[in-house]
Amino acid sequence: MIAVSIDIGSTWTKGAVFRRDGQGLTLDRRIAVPTTTDDLSRAFSRVLDGLVDGGDAASRVRRGEVRLSYSSSAKGGLAVAALGLVPEITLESARVAAYSAGAKVTRVFSYRLTRSDIRSLEAAPPDILLFAGGTDGGHVDSILANAEALARSSLDCSIVYAGNRALADDISDLLAGKDLVQVPNVLPSINAPDPDPAREAIRKIFLSKIVKGKGLDVIVGETGVEPLPTPYSVYEFAKLISARVPGWSDFILLDMGGATTDVYSAHRERPAPGTILRGLPEPEVKRTVEGDLGLRVSAEAASDALKGLVADALDRREERIAAFADYIARVSAAPDYLPEDEDGQAFDAILAGACVAEACGRHAGRAAEVYTPEGKLKLQTGRDLTGVTRVIGSGGWLSRTASFDPSPWFRRMGVDNRGRAVLLPSEISYFRDEHYVFPLLANVARDFPEEAAKAGIDMLVAQQ
Amino acid sequence: MSDVDTIAVAKANTLPGMTSLPGEDPAMTATVVLGVIGADCHAVGNKILENVFAVAGFTVVNLGVMVSQDEFIDAAIETGAKAILVSSIYGHGEIDCAGFRDRCIERGLDDILLYAGGNLVIGKQDFAEVEAKFLAMGFDRVFPSTVDLSVPTSLLRQDLGRRAAFGGGK
Ligand code: B12
Repeated sequence: MIAVSIDIGSTWTKGAVFRRDGQGLTLDRRIAVPTTTDDLSRAFSRVLDGLVDGGDAASRVRRGEVRLSYSSSAKGGLAVAALGLVPEITLESARVAAYSAGAKVTRVFSYRLTRSDIRSLEAAPPDILLFAGGTDGGHVDSILANAEALARSSLDCSIVYAGNRALADDISDLLAGKDLVQVPNVLPSINAPDPDPAREAIRKIFLSKIVKGKGLDVIVGETGVEPLPTPYSVYEFAKLISARVPGWSDFILLDMGGATTDVYSAHRERPAPGTILRGLPEPEVKRTVEGDLGLRVSAEAASDALKGLVADALDRREERIAAFADYIARVSAAPDYLPEDEDGQAFDAILAGACVAEACGRHAGRAAEVYTPEGKLKLQTGRDLTGVTRVIGSGGWLSRTASFDPSPWFRRMGVDNRGRAVLLPSEISYFRDEHYVFPLLANVARDFPEEAAKAGIDMLVAQQ
Repeated sequence: MSDVDTIAVAKANTLPGMTSLPGEDPAMTATVVLGVIGADCHAVGNKILENVFAVAGFTVVNLGVMVSQDEFIDAAIETGAKAILVSSIYGHGEIDCAGFRDRCIERGLDDILLYAGGNLVIGKQDFAEVEAKFLAMGFDRVFPSTVDLSVPTSLLRQDLGRRAAFGGGK
């Protein structure tokens, strides 16, 4: 049996054939062609035809002779604007749900939408507005005000309402003219987030609406197989590895590209005695996306955000810092640029290291020590990844760069600017997804979960 | 009749759309946020309060120990709570509670009821003095650790009923 997997990325459409023999999966062949953004089906067909011998690949998929699974993050993926009430509570719950659905969160709003918020949404509508706020039976006024403001607007994107259930009928009435889906609350009660219904709704909208146009519907028509958003699929894959592969219950997975850095972590919180957890409970697998951290398109924004880390790495030498800035200005306008010279390669490594450190720092929880007369207590918010020592690097640059060692970068994230400990490991074992097969295996995992999870880990290259 | 019985009767008599009398229904299922403020980790009283207020018919959102002012306020906003019950057991209540009312107003909780209780200050100070201090800080009611808990539950019911009747609260 062969399994064909294709991932339609914003610049490359990549595919691979995996052969299933006995209990395992082996990588047979890989192809990548430039994504055809005007009609995604053209590049897709080239890859599919290239991977399946004997012609007429699509109909062989339809007849079930070839197992096909595929994903798409073309055009930067699914844009979700998240609306919540309190930033650290329902807005955060909405954000967690959107990220887990494989979306990028393009805008966030809390409390009440202002007229200018509405205008900016109208001017640049997201694919989906995820509308949260209030626990069940909780807050009313601002949520109704937000629904009224949305009702009056000309915004016509999909709206997923995942707020206070007590207002479900009011929301139906107020937003009757909109493309509205209602799901259970992302935060039904204050200590019990429930991101899955909203996540499922986002995935369905991806299939029913986002897939239309751009040529994805053509692919569905020809193959009879539906795509998933790439990060949704990778998220499921991370969950699967954590559940199924011995020794891999806890790990961090980095996927860094030109525009964004994604961090996934699989970790179950087990607070030690003397630790008091505050804030929202964390999901076992969490994904965060940093839209300002990336190696090319976001290089400029990243070097702004990472000034301190970069300067330290350049020993605070003025002329090196200036040369770095020049380099960033050059590469951010050239998404495909690959440096040949030593300086360029060193600068890429510094930018990559700093992006990894910062993205993981934002992903991880915080702890502050509180001194009480009978000793120290730890007040923790977010997830404690200090014991999570396995780190996987995936995505173009991380997959390619055998010489990159992220360990020292983890050690730089000791405390944040409020003096709280950043809960990241200081010693790590680093594994590289050398052939960038994670997204492809994530697709295959839908048909062959056990085998794909094992193959994903087996194919990693351990850093010496 | 005990508290529990009163509630059962009141609930049975209250039908949807029925206007309620002051001191009765509005308080019955009202949400209250409960927690121990500051770096205070005394957990026992907190559990008792959760239980007592729940049995008295309130929907209790218990944040546990070591709760900051903003965490109380965040939770009250999201849950639409009508009252915040602050405990301080370890003696630093005065510092931890300072500015609580102002912060509530700043964050849009104009009408929330604030109760404080426990060992609010260090050592043996006259309770009347302690009470005056906390009332001046904007708390609506203040209780010593020795209070019989049927007193705050019925006062809360009264306070909420009065607010509903006079149009205060949301
Ligand atoms: C057990 C205990 C501890 C345990 C706590 C274990 C835990 N995780 O819960 C430990 C050993 C950790 C501890 C530590 C400390 N403790 Co201690 N502790 C006690 C002790 C013995 C019992 C507390 C208790 O559980 N009481 C039973 C519960 C049911 O009562 P309660 O907490 O008072 O709560 C009731 C009322 O206060 C009231 N109430 C409380 N809040 C509110 C709010 C509202 C709105 C209302 C209406 C009512 C209300 O209703 C509650 C339920 O009935 C008391 C002494 C005592 N006998 O009370 C000292 C005591 C509270 N501790 C004290 C102190 C000073 C400390 C320490 C600072 C120093 C120390 N080592 O002793 C640390 C502080 C640690 C910290 N960061 O919080 C002092 C406080 C002094 C003061 N406020 O003036 C006390 C009073 C001892 C004393 N006499 O000196 N303590």
